[in-house]
Amino acid sequence: MTAALATLVAGIVLGYLGQRSRMCFVGGIRDFILVRDRDLLRGLVAFGITAWLAFPLVAALGAAAVGPFAKPDLTTMALTVCGAFGVGYVSTLANGCPFRQHVLAAQGAVSSVTYVTGFLVGAVIFHVWAAPLLLRVLP
Amino acid sequence: MATVLESITPAPAVPPRHRVTATTTGVVGALLAVMAGSLFDVRPPDAYGLCMACHARDFVDWTINAVAGTQLTVAPASLVLPVLTPIGVLIGALLAARINGEFHVQVPEHPIKTFVYGVVVMNCALLAGGCSIRLLLRTAAVEPLGMIGFGALATGVILATHWLRWRAAR
Repeated sequence: MTAALATLVAGIVLGYLGQRSRMCFVGGIRDFILVRDRDLLRGLVAFGITAWLAFPLVAALGAAAVGPFAKPDLTTMALTVCGAFGVGYVSTLANGCPFRQHVLAAQGAVSSVTYVTGFLVGAVIFHVWAAPLLLRVLP
Repeated sequence: MATVLESITPAPAVPPRHRVTATTTGVVGALLAVMAGSLFDVRPPDAYGLCMACHARDFVDWTINAVAGTQLTVAPASLVLPVLTPIGVLIGALLAARINGEFHVQVPEHPIKTFVYGVVVMNCALLAGGCSIRLLLRTAAVEPLGMIGFGALATGVILATHWLRWRAAR
């Protein structure tokens, strides 16, 4: 219950800010390459630095700390690289990261509504077909 | 390419009281993500406070499990009730668009293509263990796999951008 409520509130705040700032987590890198615009890239860097500082800070204040993390095996590493590369490549072609697509869908872009629909259907496809297939193929 | 170029044109002028920079969004987003994970039980797994892909997966799978009695995968954080980040983002963005007069229905040029993009990005994100936001969050948590993933994500963005520029120049 706590997690559901916390994420709902965090989502509302982020959705509001994301709509006002046009924040996109792949758009920062894309804009910098295309037109040397640093606005969204600053947001990306700010997110990373703030989280990097906040993790140990909340742990020092008594909250649950993250880690330690297990050393990844080669298969997991290869799957992560392939998946993450695909997220970056296809999100750029799709004109925005999943967060940006949700924001655009909420402000009336029907193309983003179809993207979000595909996104949700994709979760089912992954667990019903893709993951079992991978488990059968991989060592 | 036209859609990409349109998306990076300057935003229409907005009154200063409604203007928010990407930096502010980044700082607030990171604080919310860390606090959700560390203080409000959005874990395990670690660094799970904010992810559009994993949280959307949890919401969809939890709902299908509840309705159809299936056993699709959900994260431990979503066993009792699903995390609701995607619903929250949609509500927040809708509120912002309505309040500021920016809600406009725009008919898509290629709805099937964008649908397929959504399917592919979700599958890739679940394979990588998170969307762009969670990969960055895992990187900030100094998780080696997260760092590798974020590096691969950035490489994908760079190559796709160069490909779009090359295609536009032809």
